Formats: sequence, C-alpha cells, structure tokens
Amino acid sequence: MKPTKSDLPQGTLDLLILKVVALGPVHGYAIAQRLEQVSRGVVQVPQGSLYPALHRLENRGLLAADWKATETGREAKFYRLTRKGRAQLETESQSWQRLTEAVGLILRMSEGGAK
Amino acid sequence: MTWWRRLWLRKKMEEELEKELRFHLDQHTADLIAQGLDPEEARRRARLALGGQEQVKEQCRDARGTRWLEDLPQDLRYGARMLLKKPGFTLIAILTLSLGIGANTAIFSLVNTALLRPLPVERPEQLVSINNLSLGIPVISFPNYRDFRDRMNSFSGMVAFRVTSLGLSNNGVNERVWGYLATGNYFQVLGVKPALGRFFTPDDDKSPGAHPVAVLTYDCWQKRFAGDPRAIGKTVIVNGRNFTVIGVAPQGFYGSEILYRPEIWFPMMMLAQVEASYNYLEERGNSSFYAQGRLKSGVTAPQAEAELKTIAAQLARDFPNENEGMGVTLSPAGLLGSRMRGPIIGFSAVLMAVVGLVLLLACANLADLLLARATERRKEIAVRLAIGASRWRLVRQLLTESILLSTIGGALGLLLAYWLVDAMMAFKPPISIPLSTELHIDGRVLLFTLIVSTLTGVIFGLAPTLQSTKPDLVPALKDEVSMGGYRRSWLRNGLVVSQVSLSLVLLICAGLAVRGLQRAQSLNPGLTPQNAVEMSFDLTLQGYDVSRAVEFRRRLLEHVRALPGVQYAGLSTFLPLSLIVKNYPILVEGQPEQRGANMPTVTASTATPGLISALGASLLQGRDFTEKDDESTQNFALVNETLARRFWAGQSPLGKRFSLAGPAGPWIEVIGVLQDGKYFSLSEEPTPFVYTNMRQWTGGPLTMVVRTASEPQNAIAAIRREFQQLDARLPVFDVRTLVEHMAIPLFPARVAATLLGSFGLLALLLASIGVFGMMSHAVTQRAREIGIRMALGAQAGAIFKLVVDQGLILTALGLCIGLAVAIAGTRLMSGFLYGVSALDVVTFTGVSLLLSLVALLACYIPARRATKVDPMVALRSE
Repeated sequence: MKPTKSDLPQGTLDLLILKVVALGPVHGYAIAQRLEQVSRGVVQVPQGSLYPALHRLENRGLLAADWKATETGREAKFYRLTRKGRAQLETESQSWQRLTEAVGLILRMSEGGAK
Repeated sequence: MTWWRRLWLRKKMEEELEKELRFHLDQHTADLIAQGLDPEEARRRARLALGGQEQVKEQCRDARGTRWLEDLPQDLRYGARMLLKKPGFTLIAILTLSLGIGANTAIFSLVNTALLRPLPVERPEQLVSINNLSLGIPVISFPNYRDFRDRMNSFSGMVAFRVTSLGLSNNGVNERVWGYLATGNYFQVLGVKPALGRFFTPDDDKSPGAHPVAVLTYDCWQKRFAGDPRAIGKTVIVNGRNFTVIGVAPQGFYGSEILYRPEIWFPMMMLAQVEASYNYLEERGNSSFYAQGRLKSGVTAPQAEAELKTIAAQLARDFPNENEGMGVTLSPAGLLGSRMRGPIIGFSAVLMAVVGLVLLLACANLADLLLARATERRKEIAVRLAIGASRWRLVRQLLTESILLSTIGGALGLLLAYWLVDAMMAFKPPISIPLSTELHIDGRVLLFTLIVSTLTGVIFGLAPTLQSTKPDLVPALKDEVSMGGYRRSWLRNGLVVSQVSLSLVLLICAGLAVRGLQRAQSLNPGLTPQNAVEMSFDLTLQGYDVSRAVEFRRRLLEHVRALPGVQYAGLSTFLPLSLIVKNYPILVEGQPEQRGANMPTVTASTATPGLISALGASLLQGRDFTEKDDESTQNFALVNETLARRFWAGQSPLGKRFSLAGPAGPWIEVIGVLQDGKYFSLSEEPTPFVYTNMRQWTGGPLTMVVRTASEPQNAIAAIRREFQQLDARLPVFDVRTLVEHMAIPLFPARVAATLLGSFGLLALLLASIGVFGMMSHAVTQRAREIGIRMALGAQAGAIFKLVVDQGLILTALGLCIGLAVAIAGTRLMSGFLYGVSALDVVTFTGVSLLLSLVALLACYIPARRATKVDPMVALRSE
C-alpha cells in the first residue's frame, strides 16, 4: 500500500505552480517533480492537468515562457513568473495562509469548549 | 502575446505544444530508466502518468481562450462543405435571407439618410430648429426671429432662412432654380468653411436690397461654371438684377435642410429682390421664416426651450396683435423645422417594423429548415457526441454554419439593397423642388447589415442547434426515426404558428395600405382631374413690372381660350394639393376679434375668372369671378363649405366680409361657396380655404389650368406655342395633366401600398414555403405511423384528413395570434389609411381567408403524398 495521497483542493494547483516557478525558470516536467518531492509524495499532481494549468496561467499573463536548452542540451519550455504573477502569488498565498489558520483554529477547537 | 498573434501563430503553437509534451515524456522515461526500469516499461508508465495525450493537448488549447477563433477556419470549411452538399437547401436559405436582410438594409438606409445622418455642419447635435406652430407649420416671423436672437442666452447663434425659388440667368439662359435666403450669420453658426472664395457674413446682410451677393453650392458651381475658380467675382442675374458670386460651398454641403438640394444662397436682406415679393422683413404677423439655433455647450435643449418660451411670453405681451398665444418648441434641425419629422418618423417606424417582421419570418423559415436538416443529421451529431465531442463544441460548429449562411445571405442582401434603393428612388415625388436623391449605403448601414446578418444567424440557428445537440443518443445511433419527440414537434409547430401569424400581420398591413390607396383615389379632392392640364411660369424671371405682367396674363388667357378644344382657362398663385400652403389669420367682420396666434387661420390662394371651371371645382352657391370684378374696387372671394360653416353657421355667407391682413383690411366680400376639397394632403381634416380674386400681380410663380374637351395631352404643344409667341425666353415649368398632378397627394399612399404590398407578398411566399416544408417533413417523419394505420385498415380519406387537420390546426392558431397582433398594431398605420378603419373588416377577413387557402394548398400536396404511402415500404424502412 502506498502512502495516502491527498487530492488537491480546487484552485490550489495554480498557487502551487506559481510558487514553484517563483524559485526560478523551470520547465513543466521539473515542476511536476518538484511538487511531488517537496510534498513528500503527499500532493499528487495529475500530470494531465498540469499542462492545461500552465497554459491557462500563461494566457492570463501570470507566467511567461521561453525556449531554452536544459543541462542535457535539449530544448525545453521554461516558465517564469511575470510581475503580475508575483503579485498574484503574494495575494493568493496570504489568503491561503489566512484560510488555513482559520480552518486550523476551528479544527483545534475543543469539543464543548465553545459556549 | 496578444490573442491575435497567438491566432496567427497557431501552427507554431501546435508544434510547441507537441514538443513540450514530448520533452516531458522523454524526461520522465529517462528518469524511470535511471531508476532501473526497462525502456519499454518506462515509456509505458510515463505515458500513463501523463494521461491521454490528445486530451491534454485539447485542454491546453482550450486553456488558451482563443479556442473558438482557432477552430473557426476548420468550422467554416466544414460548414461550407455541409452547405455545398445540399445545394437546394442552401440556395433557398440564402435567397430567403438575402430578401429579408436586403429589405432591412434598404429601409434602414432610408431611415439613415432622413433621420440618423447628421447635417454636414460643425457639432450637428447642437443645432436645433425653433418651431412656432401657431399656423400649423413651424415658422416664425422675421421681427420675432430678431427678438429671439437678441434676447436669448442659451444659443451661441441663431439663424433664419427661407426656402425659395428664383429666376437665374447665366450666359443668356433663364432658369428657375432653388435656393436659400439666409441671415448673414448662417455659415458662421453652421460652422462651415467655403471651398472657394468666401461666405457672406453679417456685414453682407445689413440693409435691405444693398447686398447683391450669392454663394453657390459645389454642384451648381460644377454645373453652371464648369468648376472654374474664376467664377468668384462673376455676375449672375437673379430676377433681372446683377448678383456677384462670392463663394462656393464645400462638396456635399447643401445647407441646413437634410433632404433639400438647392443651388444658391443669398443674404436675407435681398428677400425683396430674390423673391420679388413684399418685404416681409418688418412684418411681425408674417410667419414664413424657418429658424435654427446652435445651443451653447453645456446647455440642454429643454433649458433652451424654457428660455425661448419665456421670451415668447414677453413677445406675446409686447405685440399682442401678432403674437398672442405664440408657443415655441425645439426639434432636431433639418426637416423643415419639425414639420416633416413626425410623418417621416411614423413612416420609417412602420416600414422598419414591417421589414423586421419579414426578417423574423425568414428566420422562422430557416429555423424550420435547419430543424428538418438537423433531424437528418441526428446520427452524425450523435456519433460525435458519443465519441466525446463537447456539446459546446458542436453548438459552436452548427452556429458557425448558420452564421456562415446568414453572412452570405447578408452580402447578397446588401447587393439587393443597392438595387432596392435604386428602385425606391424611382418613387420620386412628382414635384419640382430638388430633393436629395442619394440614399447612402455608408458605414452605418454596412454595420447595421453586419449586425443584422449575424443576429439573424444566431436567432435562426440557435434553437435547432440546441435541440439537435442533445438527442437521445441510443435511438439516434440505432438509426431509429424518432416518433416525433414531443419537444421537437412542439418547436416546429411553434415555428409554423409564428410564421402564419407574422405573415398575417404583414398581409393585413399590405391589405390596409392598398385599401388606403383605393380610398385616397376615390376621395373627392374638390377638383376634376380628367381633361385638364397645368403649366407654371414666373414673370419675375423676366423682370416684368406690374402693368406688363397684368397685360401678359390677359393676353395669355385670351389666346389660350381661343385654342380649339379648350373650354376654360384660368390662373392661380398655387393649386390645391401641390404641397404649397399659404395660411393667413382671418378676421371676420362683425365677429369677436382674436389676436396673434389665437386667431383662426385659413388657407388662401388666388384665382382669375375661369380657374374654378378649369379645375372642375363645384360652385355650390353664388357666382364665379368675372372680368368685371377686376375693374371694381371691391375685393371678392370664393370660400369653401368648411369656411362658410365655421364662420357663418346657419347664415348665407354671400355678401359677408372678412380680412386676411388684420383690421386695417382690405376687406373681402364672399361671392360664392365651393364644395369642400383637399388642399395639402388627402388625409387632412376639412380645412377652411379661400380663393381671392387675383387682381394685381404680386410676383412669384403662377399656375395656369386649362380644361379641354378631350384628352388634354394634345393641347399642351399648342399652349406652349402661345407662351413662345408672347415671350420666347420665359421658362414654363411643371407642365402636367391634372391627373399627373394628383400623383402628388397620392404619393404617400402609393408608396405605402407598393412597399407594404411587396413585403406582404414576400411574407405570403415565405409562409407558404414554411407550411409546405413543415407538412412535408411531418409526413416523412410519420411515414411509419401512417403505414401502420393503413395496414390496420385506415382509408386514404382518413389519412388525408389526419395530415390536413394537423396543418389547419396550426394555421388556425397562427391566424388567431396574428389577428390579435394586427388589431393591436395597425393603428400605427392610420397616417396613410385615408379614413379606412385600421380594423377594416374587408381586409381582415379577406387576408385571413387568403392565408387559410394558401395554407390549405401547402398542406394538400404533402397530404396527398401521405395517402400514397405504401404500408409495406413504410414498415420495412427501418
């Protein structure tokens, strides 16, 4: 049995992609790998939805892309964050933080404690 | 990257997408191999992880947001192929659409020219007409104009002008041409720059008779001076006086009226010289000037109107004799004040509504055809849905097809509109006033056509598309003919019902218009058109003085009356129903005196002895003018019944006296009563009318009417020769028989009857195609049911009835709805019904019967076909 994997809540994939790309220009495959590694396999990114998401973000102007050679010398499409994308990442992560804190508070509530 | 670049780079994008995914797969495979998997297995796992490659690509394409545009060429190609596959359907569809869209475009270009296109002046939205409607026409007197102009604050400028005809001699040719008399600030206020020379200014318009200058329209300059720049400074002779040409207006500028095409402008102070008439400039009671003003920026029309109303009230207090009761309204400039606006808007509204209905009808027709076709394409669509095409994708493709159809129809419709516009221009009112003859198909019209075409495509395409993209997949794939799903037949039945009701409404409009024309032709116009001719001439053009003119008149009548076949001849300043009206406030002797705008008004013309007989008007009481009256110092008049009844009800009007020029007289004695006629339009209410005795000549054009024993056409040449003998250089114009003259008042009725009649027939055609198509299709759909019925022993008669009943029920429903709409809507048409009721029973029943008959015929052929269904064939067909 593999370790339990969580489905991504709606809309978080975009946020995660933005965060990964914020660390520096990176191609699609690397994004998929990094997401899986960093989350220690908990976050399973369906690769099939990764590319449409990338294209959507590019279309919205949050990401930009260039074709560059990788270390192995092959051409790959490298995504990077635009200014608009950075701003978006900022607001999205803040609101995510607030949301998780709030959800955490509610979940930590001791039963019967609320009057 | 902008979306359109992305569109152009579509091919590159596709390649890159492919490359990106390949890179991903290769990398993943390499990593898996590195983990120790064999290459085959590694590649398999990598593929599995990514998922269906084509699906991923498809989602990426969708993510780009320009998907529909990228698919467009593909959809268009596919659509074109589908249309070409069914040339019959395509041809009918395109023809139907081009008729509908063409009619809309043509009528819209009419509306555009008259109502939407701004005058070619600076900031045309600021320009308004100032209407004083006290005489029933929106004109004011010159002294009142001056007072308004000097007292107002809301306008940056206010102009007055007159539409006038005059005699122009250039290079020895005498002609009657049309022009404007306009105040000196006219061109400044309109904000127009001359093409050549200069315009006149307030300095050229200071004292009466002192400024013999003229400005030409571009067309006049081209026509009369061959576009020669040396025309500036040249002399033209106007009514025998020299005027200097000082400027040429820019091309396409014809002054402050939209539909009027004059040749020349004069300063207002030259009124007496140009019109060779009284100097009206100081007569506060003579309302015969049009006024326009330019609103100051920031001032709204209601504010300005309120201010003018205040000034009007002051003027009414200051000059009660002329101005009491005076009111002022503002209207958009350019249609003779507000005079032509109402009728033009009414007429346009009816026409736009009618062509709109025709287009709706065409849409219903096409929706029906498309539904029929969609049923044939059910299997194709079901297959595509089954293998995973999204519904939206299919809707998009089917809509592309219908918009492709409607765009082709629109393009063809535009060509048709050019032709229709030409045909409509052939309907020129039979008058000599030069009117705009160009109907522009400009950018606004093109935009209208484009929008209408696209909307049409969406309207007729949407319902069939939505319906056909959600078939029950299983029966569709099994090639089962559905037994007429409830919803589907509901939609098609609805379409037939709406077609019948729409065409009923249109046919009723057409029928009413034709009845209106009939009624108009049978109205008593107060004259007998048969066997009479009229000719007009203007002695002013030749510089006649009063004594020469009176002598000319006398000799002309004498010579013409002596011609063989001529019974009567007489002269008048203007004939009834020639679109000219001169209204005067009337003061009746011995009756309480009203003042200003509160005075009753009457229409007045003049007549010589013989005119009444030449016109064929009926004298009910008293006597006609005689030559002897001319020698008397007393003024005499013939009044009509309405006038007699209004002012001397219950008494004999003979011998009673009235004045058309205030209490100072001259007093005019009634010597006869004429039967009522029509004077301005055939639809007018009974109007008080008077002929005064034409004793002295006052200048301006005169019209001679000659009554002959037989066909008057033959007499024309002989009468022209008499003119020639008396003055070879005198231009004679508006030569026509009285029957032709009657075409003027009949013009609106004729236009309405022709246009609405054509649209009505078109509607009938479309509706019969619709009913026929629907019934044929229904028979095909129900072939199996019919086969079963026949196999079970149903007789041909019963089958026939089954089909016809279905058609007739729908027709009856359509008729009921159509009648309800028509009853509510035909009131709009009352303007050209000439007394025919808007709910005319003959029209309503006649049209309903006609439509039922056509529907019956349209059902008959499919019903006959139904009775010929071979049960065995029908049952085996599935």
